[in-house]
This record gives sequence, C-alpha cells and structure tokens, in this order.
Amino acid sequence: MVESKQQWKAWLYLAPAIVLLLIFTVWPIINTVRMSLLENYNGLKAAGGASFNFGFANFEKVVNYRRFGQCMKNTLLLCVITVPISSILALLIAVALHSIKRFQKVLQTIFFLPYVTNSIAIGMVFAAMFNIVGSFLGTDQEIVVTAGIINNIIELFGGTKVNWINYGSTYAANMFVMAVYIIWNALPFKILILLGGLASINKQYYDAAKVDSTPRWRVLTRITVPLLSPMLAYVIITGFIAGFKEYTSIVGIFGEAMGPANDSGRLNTMVGFIYDSLANNNQGRASAAALILFAVILVVTVINLQVSKKRVHY
Amino acid sequence: MSQKSIQVMQAQDLKKVTTKQHFGAFFGKAGVYLFLILIAVIVLFPFYWMLISSIKSLYEYKLSKPTLWPQQILLANYAEAFTTANLGRLFMNTAYVGIVSTLLSLFITIITAFAFARLQFKGKELLFAALLATMMIPGELFTITNYMTVSTFGWMNTFTALIVPFLVSVFYIYLLRQNFLQIPNELYLAAKVDGTSDWKYLWKVMVPLALPTLISITILKMMGAWNSYIWPRLVANDEAHRLVTNGLRDAFTDISGDTNYSVQMAAVALVSAPLFLVFIFLRKYIMAGVSRSGIKG
Amino acid sequence: MKKIISLVLALLMLLTCIPALAETFPAEGYDGSEVTIKFRHVITKDDQLALVNDAIAEFNKIYPNIHVELENVGGSYNGILDTSKTELPAGNEPNIVFCYMDHIADYNNQAGAVQVLDELIDHPVVGLTEEQKADFIPGYYKEGASFGDGKMYALPFYKSTEVLYYNKTFFDENNLTVPATWDEMEAVCAKIKEINPNSIPLGYDSEGNWFITMTEQLGSPYTSATEPHYLFDNDVNKDFIKKFNDWYNKGYVTTAGLYGGYTSGLFTSSEEMRSYMSIGSSAGATHQRPQKNEDGSYPFEVGIAPMPQVDPANAKAISQGPSVCIFAYKKPVQEILASWLLVKYLTTDVTFQARFSIASGYMPAIKSVLDNAEYQEYLAKADGGDNVAVQSVKVGMSITDAYFTSPVFNGSSAARNQVTALLKKCLGMSPDELASGIDAAFQDAIDECEYAN
Repeated sequence: MVESKQQWKAWLYLAPAIVLLLIFTVWPIINTVRMSLLENYNGLKAAGGASFNFGFANFEKVVNYRRFGQCMKNTLLLCVITVPISSILALLIAVALHSIKRFQKVLQTIFFLPYVTNSIAIGMVFAAMFNIVGSFLGTDQEIVVTAGIINNIIELFGGTKVNWINYGSTYAANMFVMAVYIIWNALPFKILILLGGLASINKQYYDAAKVDSTPRWRVLTRITVPLLSPMLAYVIITGFIAGFKEYTSIVGIFGEAMGPANDSGRLNTMVGFIYDSLANNNQGRASAAALILFAVILVVTVINLQVSKKRVHY
Repeated sequence: MSQKSIQVMQAQDLKKVTTKQHFGAFFGKAGVYLFLILIAVIVLFPFYWMLISSIKSLYEYKLSKPTLWPQQILLANYAEAFTTANLGRLFMNTAYVGIVSTLLSLFITIITAFAFARLQFKGKELLFAALLATMMIPGELFTITNYMTVSTFGWMNTFTALIVPFLVSVFYIYLLRQNFLQIPNELYLAAKVDGTSDWKYLWKVMVPLALPTLISITILKMMGAWNSYIWPRLVANDEAHRLVTNGLRDAFTDISGDTNYSVQMAAVALVSAPLFLVFIFLRKYIMAGVSRSGIKG
Repeated sequence: MKKIISLVLALLMLLTCIPALAETFPAEGYDGSEVTIKFRHVITKDDQLALVNDAIAEFNKIYPNIHVELENVGGSYNGILDTSKTELPAGNEPNIVFCYMDHIADYNNQAGAVQVLDELIDHPVVGLTEEQKADFIPGYYKEGASFGDGKMYALPFYKSTEVLYYNKTFFDENNLTVPATWDEMEAVCAKIKEINPNSIPLGYDSEGNWFITMTEQLGSPYTSATEPHYLFDNDVNKDFIKKFNDWYNKGYVTTAGLYGGYTSGLFTSSEEMRSYMSIGSSAGATHQRPQKNEDGSYPFEVGIAPMPQVDPANAKAISQGPSVCIFAYKKPVQEILASWLLVKYLTTDVTFQARFSIASGYMPAIKSVLDNAEYQEYLAKADGGDNVAVQSVKVGMSITDAYFTSPVFNGSSAARNQVTALLKKCLGMSPDELASGIDAAFQDAIDECEYAN
C-alpha cells in the first residue's frame, strides 16, 4: 500500500519533466531515428512530397566518408586531452581559491568572467592571439607583418615563433591551440561547480588534518578529492559529453574551413560533419552520424558512470 | 569531536609548529597566490582585448599589426552599439525570458531531482540512465523537429516558444540530484518519523541545503538565455521578442557582409555587464547560503 | 491488406502530385484585395532602410491594399538561408527573400518552393514590358535563370563585381601601367618586386572567386547544372594553378587564406610592409582606402580598374550581390501576385535603384539608372579618396557586358567551397610539392563535392 502510494507520488513529481521531455526530446529522437533509416532523406524534398527507401544506406555513407576516421580521431583526441587537464586545473584552482582569504572574492570573480561573455567575441580574440599575419611562411621569402601575441611572448623569452594555425602549420600545433581554447572555455563552469562543492565540505575534516599536520597534497588527495567526488564525477562526465560535441570552438579559431589554409577539414569533428550534412540538406546522413556519435558517447558515459560508482562517495 | 575540543587541540598544536614549517607555509601561500594570479592573467587577457577593441576605430581594429593600447579612444562605439542594436529592448526581452524560464526551470529541476534522489519507484535507475542518454545527442538535430512542433502549437513569435522547450535540463537535474544525494538519509528518516510530508521536507530542508547548487543553476540558466542563438532566431525573431545575442550578431553587419567589429565588441561588453553584476551580487548569496546550510559544523 | 497498401500508395501518389500542379494566374492579375506580404532582407543601415520604406510608400500609392512587412535578418545571407529552409516545410516562410542563386537550388529541394517567374514576367497585365526586360543589366538578369531548366527564379536587387584597386600614387611615381591582362599583371608584379623587394605586389581576398573567374575567362569547365556536375578537374585549370603557384613562390601575390587576414589591410597599410594592388569587391571600396592623415589628406590615391583578363576582348567578371525570389509554397495566388508587383517595382524603379546604389555603394540592377540626373551627378563625384566608392561603381558600370554567373544546382555551393580550399592549398605549395600533389588535390576536391551532393 505504502509502496504503491510512493510510486504514484514519484510519478507525480516527475510528470512535468516527463511531459516536456516526451514532446521536445523523445519525439525529436524518434524522428532522428526515422530520418536515419530513410535513404538519402532530405527534409525539404520530403516536404515537397518525395518518398525515400527504407534502409541503412545513410550509415554506410557516413562510415565510408573518406575523412570519417579523421573526424572521429579529432573528436576523441580533443576529449582525451581537454577533459582531464581542465578538470585537474579546475580542481587546483578551486582548492587554491578556497584556501586563501585575501583577494578571494576578486579572484573568484575573475575566474568566472569567461562565463559571462559572449563566445563569438572570445573566439575572435583567441584566433587573433595565435594568428600570424604574413605570407610565404617558412620560405626564404618569408614576410611577417605580425606574429601574434603568443609568438611575441615566445620571442620575448628567446624562443622562435611557432606556426600555430596558418598555412603549413602542424596538426600538433593546431591541436594545442584548440586544447588551450577549449580548456579556457571549460574552466569557469568547472571551477564554479567545484567551489560550490568545496563550500559544503565539513571544515572539521580539515581541522583534523591540521592537527596531524598532514602535508598539503595528502590533504588534497585523501580528503578533498574523495569528498568532492560527486562534483568531480559530474564535471568529468558532462565534460566528456560536451567534448564529444566540440564544433563551435573550432569554427571560432579556424573558420568554416575547419582547418589551416593548406588542409581544410583537417580538424573537422563528428558534430562538424553533422552540420555539414545539414547544410547540404542531408538530414538522413546527419541523423545517422548523430546516432553513431550517440552510441560512442553512450559507451564512454557508461564506463564513466561505472568508474564513478566505485570511486564516488555519497 | 566538539568544536571546542578541536580548537583546544589546534592551539596546542600550533605551538609545536617549527620555524621550518613557517617558511614552508609562507612559500606555500606565495605559491598558491602566484598560481592563481598567473591563471587570472591568462583568463583576463581576452577580456582586456575585448575592452580595448571596443574603444578602437574600425580601421585600427583591422590593422594587421594590432595595437595593445588604442591610438584614439572611441567611446562613441558604446553609444552606437546601444542605439544600433536597440539594446534596451533586447535587454528587456532577454531578462524576461531569462527570469521566467529560470524560475520555472528551477521548480521542475527541484521536484524531478528530488524524485530521483529520495523517492522509490519502479524503473528509477533505467529512467535516470535514459535521461542522461538524452544529453548525448547533439541538440542541432532536435532543431528541425522542434521547430515543426512549436509551429504546430502556434507558438511562433511568442515568448512561450523561447521558454517552454528548454525548461527541462538533464544537466541541472543531474547536478541537483548529486547534491541531494549528499544530504544524509538520517535527516529524511527523522522527518518521516516526525510526520513531515515529502513535499514539506523538500522545500523546508532539502532546498535550503542545496542552495549553493540552486544558485549555480540559476546563473547557468540565465547565461543560457543570454547566449542562446540559433533557436531564438528561428522561432521569435520579430522586434517584440528578439533576444540579445541575435541582435548582437546581426546588428553590426552591413549588406556587404562587413561587420563593424569594434562596435560589436562594445555591444558584447555592454551585454556582459549585467550578467557580471548579477554574479557579483549572487556570489555573496552563495557564501551566505553555505554558512546557513546545515552541512557545515 | 492489399487494399490498404494500394490505398496508401494512391494517397502517396496524390500527395506527391499536389506540389507539381502549376499555379495559374488570373488574366486580370492582382485583384486589389487586402494582402499582407513579408519581405525578408539583410539591410541594417538606417539610411538604406529609409530608402526601401520610401519606395514602399510610393508603391502603396499605386497598390494601397498591399501591406508590406519588412523583416531584417541582419547582414547575413546565410541567416536568411538557414531560417527560410527551416520554415519552408512548415509553410511559415515569408513571401519575398533576398537570395543568392545557391539558396534557390536549396529551397527547390522542396518541389515548387520558389515561384517560377516566367509566367509572371510574360503576364499581359502584371508582366514586364520588353523595354523593362532589356533595361536589366544582361549578366544580372540571366543569373535568375542559371539552373539548367531554362526557367527564371529571381530578379537582381543590387549587385557588385570584383575590381582591381591599385596604389595610384605609387603607379604614377614609378611610371607603371595598370595591368589589363594577367600577363601584364605578371610583368607589373615583377617590376614592383624590383622596386620594393619587401612588398607583396598583389593581394586577392577571395580564393573561390579567383578560381571561378579564371575558369570563366579561360573557357575551361568548372561545373554544370546537369550531371555530371563537377568538371573542374582538368589540365587547363591545373595549368593556371601552376602559374599562380609560381607567382606565389616568387612573392608576387597572396590571398586572405594564406595571408592570415584581409589583404586589403596590407594594401591600405602605412607600415613598411605593404601591397600595391588588391582585387576585391566593388562594394568594399571604402575598405581599400587608407586612413586619412591628420591634415585630412590621404597617404595615397586609390585607383580602380576592371578585373585583369585573359583576353580583354572577351572580358569576364564575377557578379555578386543579392537577388530576390518569391516563395510559393502554400501561398495564395493573390499573395504571390502582390509579391511579384513589389519585386517588379523595386527592381525596375529608377529612382529607388539610383538612390539605393548611391547610399550603399552597390551597383543598380538596371541600366537606365545611368540616365538619371541625380545618379549622373553622383557619378561625376568619383575620385580616389573621399568618393572612392563612387569610383568603384563607375568602373563596375563600365563593364556590364562582362558579368557572368556559374551554373546553379543542388550542390553548387559545395563546389565553391572545395575550389576555395583547393586554390589555397595548391598556391602555398613549393614547386616540388605541387608537381607531385596537384593531381591528388584536385581528386580530393572532386571527391568531397561528390560526397556532399
């Protein structure tokens, strides 16, 4: 009796969310599956009355794309690089912020700043920081009007300038710039969440550690990290999910060409591929690619959840 | 361990601290500040760039060799940004959508997270996993279907179309559920024994305890309203409903596709300002929320 | 079961037939009924918008019952494309939109989305007179029918082309002649390189335009509106790429993609590093002008000449800028007729076309604007400083016979994107890299095009 009453109540609590999700999330997903299974489905053609064959041609077409491997590789690599670094950095910053008294408010506010600014403007700024304006780079004709602020700093310290994103730049240099930009973008949200978590940790744990004069890093690994684990899990899992959807940041730095001038499309990702397909009215292909991406993210998230189940303290 | 006994022990302990440890602590503190300031500089630089760009002339902005300090300060860019984009109206629209959707969204997030954290029902784990899974599909794919839905409902060019489709955020439900799970079960069981209803327990105990998270969600949601672009452009792009980012992107580009970047930067700065102030204002509340919460001490 | 299937099939057939039914227009044309039409554009500047509103007010004196709602999507043509494409299946699209020809190919994926204009143009009451038809600049008018089916889908609204900007002061000082052909261009670049080895003589911002213009000037295949669509993988095209690669390696030329910024910045620069020629849009003349000195004079005078040619006797220059098309999906006949009347009014009214050209620096769509007194007065002001925009319009209007447009089909925008990437990639290679890599680069571009389609 109590059991069924609880059941009934729980669904009442869930009802608004479920109704909205059914309309605005589940239905689009069903529609996505439908479009992915109609060969060469094109939304405009469909509206005009065209019909499409049922089959898996869209999936084949996606997997057989000559740069499918490259798109997957970029997507995975960006995730694997940026998520751990940004999470650890955010943790260190949050702990450091939490441990100080003076300037804490000011610094907290500064670290939150990236969140309140429009991403278009910041993308333009980042591109300008790494961009070399000039031509014939790397040849004896070389003409450099400005090497970009980052290169100016490198040269100030006696280094030689690096071709980050321009013609002839290496894949590693491109990925480095992307990683810096993505990490920069991801930090404020993570710091915010972790600071919120830190604020709710019982101070007595730390006082006890002080008594034992436990070294700083041990306090971090033995007390802070375990107690923060739910927040950390959240930050990492959502970080991976966001990382798999990386696209706009690449457009921000490299433009619609998704790569340096000598190799357009070199940095394309799965979501970039989906956008391209949508732009060409290939909704069927875009849907198939989205479902493939979905499968990949699902696997990674399940692994993440399994790991966090073992590690997270509630 | 009582608060008092800890303090006594701490006092005794402090005496034992050697000079060496003092040095260590000093360098430790200095290191912490150095680290924070270094990162802060890196974080601030793009902002500095945005601000100085916003007071440059377009010609100076486009120079191949960028200037670190404007040759001539053009505050008129701000006035131009405000009038060109009709920012006043955009602000009002965005604030309205932001506030309404935040309030409704908070309500839905709270009750849903509560159900997942505290209530028992069949298929809970499965439903939660399914919920998480929905986060993984790129939202762009939803756009077309949702557009058709909204159009069928007759919501075109209404605030409803801007608010309702995004009320449920799995992100926030997940975050709040994590937070609710941390609240000791004993509190819930004690409340049950006292005969407190779930509803009352949720609003009287859990919500105040989760205040910092709720404030975080509020900020994030407001930010979302401020930054959303593709959807608002599709469903409500008339003068009466247009939101800030749409106005920003489109207002400073002329017919040849040339954008007046300096004025756009000024507009971005203007638009960021209220959010920034909101954060400074709410930051205190985060702290206050923490000190009032039952978790501490 | 069989019955049901055949019923469903019949229904499907019926559904597919509906959009195919041709819209027929009543012989008397627009019947004067109350109609509201939505016109989506990209005009943001107040003075330009005021001109459109004035024109609509004049239009309403003739047709008081046609109410026009303007909707601005900001300066982004892609914004119009994306928004309209999403609206079309739901039948929420506006009546008239600014468009590029590629957009129409996109829209027409949905059968019958865009109104075929031929029936309206030839309509006895609301159609265009022979005089009006002949008044359109031929290259611009023909653009509306570049879909391979011989039908007209759009009329030109305002247009631009590419022109050669040069540093007139420098050219005069060094007795250089302005190049009219690419061969002359090569010679001039060599001379400039001798005079100032530290310069890049020529900057060209749009790689895509360069490639397409060269194919047109050389008469070599680029794309076709019918299958096979992608024809640009041929030896003539490879040869011109090899030639320009040689120019690049000699330091004669750079493009926006290779330079890491707009080359107009290098052209207008007052620093040591600079260029002396820049090929860019005629509508962007003010960006090709250096900033004023403190005494109000310009550091150098800007000269403007037509685009360099392969053969000046058979000149070709690209046509850019928006046209307007009319949506027909789920639109009542009277709305379409009213939309047509507005389109016709705005594209053929001399006063509006003249004033809009003056306000925007774009070229008008019709030739008779040149006879307009107000416009003649405007053109007389042309110079290489304050009125550089007038100068560019003047040059543009002097080569109206040269305008071409590329074939348009579903996937033509992919071709443009790919040749842009292709030219960028090949231009920056060393001669050895190019020799071994050019075939693969072309093949890749073709593959990407085929895949996108």
